[in-house]
Amino acid sequence: MADVRVLDKGTAPDRFARGWHCLGLVEQFKDGKPHAVEAFGGKLVVFADSQGEVHVLDGYCRHMGGDLTQGSVKGDAVACPFHDWRWGGDGKCQGIPYARRVPLRARTQAYPTAIRNDQLLIWHDVEGSEPDHEILPPELPGLAEEYTDWTWKVVPIEGSHCRELIDNVVDMAHFYYVHFSFPTSFRNVFEGHMATQFMESKGRPDVSGGYGDAELFLKSEATYYGPSYMINWLDVDYKGFETEVILINCHIPTGPDSFTLQYGITVKKPEGLDDDTANYIAKKYADMFGGGFLQDVHIWKNKVPVANPLLCEEDGPVYQLRRWYEQFYTDAADIAPEMTDRFEFEVDTTKANEYWQAEVAENLAKKAADEGAEMAEA
Amino acid sequence: MPGIVATSEETRQDEVRYTQARLVEVACLDCLARVGVKKNSDHHTQIQWSSAALADCAEFRRAETRPEGRDVKAACPRLRASIDAAVQSGEIVIGAEDGY
Repeated sequence: MADVRVLDKGTAPDRFARGWHCLGLVEQFKDGKPHAVEAFGGKLVVFADSQGEVHVLDGYCRHMGGDLTQGSVKGDAVACPFHDWRWGGDGKCQGIPYARRVPLRARTQAYPTAIRNDQLLIWHDVEGSEPDHEILPPELPGLAEEYTDWTWKVVPIEGSHCRELIDNVVDMAHFYYVHFSFPTSFRNVFEGHMATQFMESKGRPDVSGGYGDAELFLKSEATYYGPSYMINWLDVDYKGFETEVILINCHIPTGPDSFTLQYGITVKKPEGLDDDTANYIAKKYADMFGGGFLQDVHIWKNKVPVANPLLCEEDGPVYQLRRWYEQFYTDAADIAPEMTDRFEFEVDTTKANEYWQAEVAENLAKKAADEGAEMAEA
Repeated sequence: MPGIVATSEETRQDEVRYTQARLVEVACLDCLARVGVKKNSDHHTQIQWSSAALADCAEFRRAETRPEGRDVKAACPRLRASIDAAVQSGEIVIGAEDGY
């Protein structure tokens, strides 16, 4: 008799991932006030200087630990509410109004920033490296002219490590069980700092509340650029009406067992449609994918971490994805070639689809019979 | 120091099993690239590249930047054909072993 399979829960990472992390749409930070963002086990302060340039510093004043996010912006600096110490965007103390001079060592942590697709990104590395602009996510062409404004959502998540979210990249079967859609084609490519999922799917006709109904076909290409920022290009065909949707799925780790999920949707304005209608479509898709994330969250909150998943032939490359993800938790000098070497995997969805088609047909027949019985009773 | 650490020796064996077991070396019929391939079924394919193989792939070198900012190269059709040939010739045996 075979041994009983034991779940290895592993140990949680001892650091936060290296790479670019998105703090949300940049516009919200330009109102002349300091903003608080939970990140990397602490709190950051985000503020715009007099030129409108946005800066990100550690949230706590190096003087006596005052909360800079509750201070105010004075000139090009954020001023601490405790003793009015002024901190510039470069992390240097610009002045202490009541003091003769500023201590030479008055320098706090400033995070390098970049703007991509109307969003503010910051570089995080426990080793303190220079930001790598080569691996920033790409600018989306035509965003300003041809697409709707972003519909943007922020969802704080307690009780799960963000690596659970990453596993979705390779998880073919959960799309049926958790999101109520059929993946008919499913491929992964990992290379360098990028991990991609190519998927084609259609909605399940027997349940609602998932990724659309039976007449919704999705062609999806989703790439993680680094550990936390995904661009998902979706070609949606709904009853013959085709829409190009772009979904940004990003997160900021906030603690060893929590993260803030953020997602944004923009839709390429279909020709002949006015902006209001296009924005309405964008909002509908945001609701759909927002609902999808909540379905995932429910699973994550109740599951245990697994370092040794037991896989069947129809599963995606979980171990190779985690090997790829490991590069962001490893000192740059220690990144092994296999973490970044190109890897391709095509999942065989044949058997799964045969079974799922039969199950859906059975559910529909049962539903029809129940409705028939109700009609007879009435 | 690495971040996510397995706590048991069995887990390390699983890591090797799922990532390395049964990979067959396939040489591309058109260029110098050599990759590791596994096929658990007709429709399943796993391809492990190395940086050397990637540098050798003529198709990928030629590939232009894709539109819409997408920069992931989907697949090399020449390598696909080479894998099909390796299946035909019996170098690659199709079939899985207990889920891997």
